[in-house]
Amino acid sequence: MLSLPELQARIAATLFGDVTASPATWIRADGIAPELRLAIYRNNLEEGFAKTLALEFPVMQRLVGEDYFRQLALSFLTGHPSRSGDLHHVGAPFAGFLREQFAGTAYRYFADVAALEWALQECLVAGDDEALDPKALQTVPPRAYPRLRFALRSAARLLDSSFPIVSIWEANEPRAAAPEIIDLAGGPEFALAHRLSGGARITRLSAGEFALLSTLARAEPLEAALDASLARDPDFDLGVALHRSFELGVFAHVSVSPGCS
Amino acid sequence: MIPAHLQPARARSPRPGERAAEAGPALSAGVGLRAPHHAEILARRPSVGWFEAHSENYFGAGGAHRAQLARIRDHYPLSLHGVGLSLGSTDPLDTNHLREVKRLVWELEPVLVSEHLSWSSVGGRYLNDLLPLPYTEEALRHTAARIGDVQDALGRQILIENISSYLRFECNEVPEWEFLSALVRESGCAILLDINNLYVNSMNHGFDAYSYLYGISTAAVQEFHLAGHTLTRCGGRDIRIDTHDSQVADEVWDLYRAALQRFGPRPTLIEWDVDIPALSVLQAEAAKADAMMEPLRVVAA
Repeated sequence: MLSLPELQARIAATLFGDVTASPATWIRADGIAPELRLAIYRNNLEEGFAKTLALEFPVMQRLVGEDYFRQLALSFLTGHPSRSGDLHHVGAPFAGFLREQFAGTAYRYFADVAALEWALQECLVAGDDEALDPKALQTVPPRAYPRLRFALRSAARLLDSSFPIVSIWEANEPRAAAPEIIDLAGGPEFALAHRLSGGARITRLSAGEFALLSTLARAEPLEAALDASLARDPDFDLGVALHRSFELGVFAHVSVSPGCS
Repeated sequence: MIPAHLQPARARSPRPGERAAEAGPALSAGVGLRAPHHAEILARRPSVGWFEAHSENYFGAGGAHRAQLARIRDHYPLSLHGVGLSLGSTDPLDTNHLREVKRLVWELEPVLVSEHLSWSSVGGRYLNDLLPLPYTEEALRHTAARIGDVQDALGRQILIENISSYLRFECNEVPEWEFLSALVRESGCAILLDINNLYVNSMNHGFDAYSYLYGISTAAVQEFHLAGHTLTRCGGRDIRIDTHDSQVADEVWDLYRAALQRFGPRPTLIEWDVDIPALSVLQAEAAKADAMMEPLRVVAA
């Protein structure tokens, strides 16, 4: 008789398809062959996994079609099985998998699209920290502005891609009309995944805005962020960009770092 | 006795669930809480005895679903039903998963907390499915200890649900009802008796469902589940799969009636997870359960 750990290990190995020694000997036939009984569980595993992935990556599914997406999901399952009792986590390594899978091909943009979709998933369940009220800046003397440090909200993720990922996402998200033709050479594009009044969404950022926010996200002061933005876009308007960032509820917290100005 | 670290830091006003918890079996039938119904429940406050949420659907730091669940909890008794703790696995218990459950229990003060008699992971890889255990002394000792650990961490008793299964092990030493009864004795847990799972297994594995009902103690059973299943063919034979995608079958209602005779009224839940219908369809199923419980309540009173 197998011990409990051995029995579970053999069944799991059979269901994940990585072993030849079947646990069939330890399963009662009762009129249905043990292999067929195990196949029910293998089907549950594959269906549950593929369905969860499809719910997390609807744009990727729309881009490649349901049949091919299912193939991709099963291939992904082989190397990246769920590592949690909470199935929602399965999509975390999907963008990395696509990056490897399609490296050097015309479909390199899949990985960036998947990263954008995963950012959206993370925003759905990120912490509920409130958006910073712009009035918080009223008490800051203008000479201290260069030393301002902004913390981004939990439900805010920044992504950039050499491909037009926001255009691709907008044309293929579940509510979109028939997909339009998108020029893959139309990048780079910059995106903010965030949550506003309960709903997660994708917002297009300019190159300057992305440079500003991604520098601030690294806990660097506003002066450094402005330098980064101007390097990307000489016409960058800091006032307009900060105003929009507040409107989008990007910031959670502001502080003035010590130092002379 | 609730451990100090689980006690509320400040007094809270009584919630409907706290009152309902005292009422216990008098709860009218409940409905499995699914996200597509959140907004309607909050807007319309439909007449439903209680809701049962899948704990894992509300893990994470925040978000709309979690906020909606907290608001629903303000108006209805709530049960937390886990699907991912993998109590029967010989992997170490996932402490992060348990911490998330604990946080929900702390925040939502559910009437009932439950998990499954099953395993799901080996070596950190999860099948995210409910796999059956062999009913052996070794599995009993292991699972009872794990349930004990979870109850200690949560500071309360949990209910363990019998699952639908599509295979049985040669090494089984006792029938499932004896295994469950022993778990209750060893760990102090209670039983969530899923009537549909019991029916599905009795047909798939060819045992007498009524012997099962009379094989477990009446005090141990503290909740019933009802759901739909699908009849399909496998290897030239009929097999019933627990699909939660349809109304409760007539044969399952018959078995439920027998369970009510045996155990008396208990909080009863309608589950529906695939092709989720309008809330009114679930309410109608719940009303059917209530109508069966009602005569027994009169006798009990």
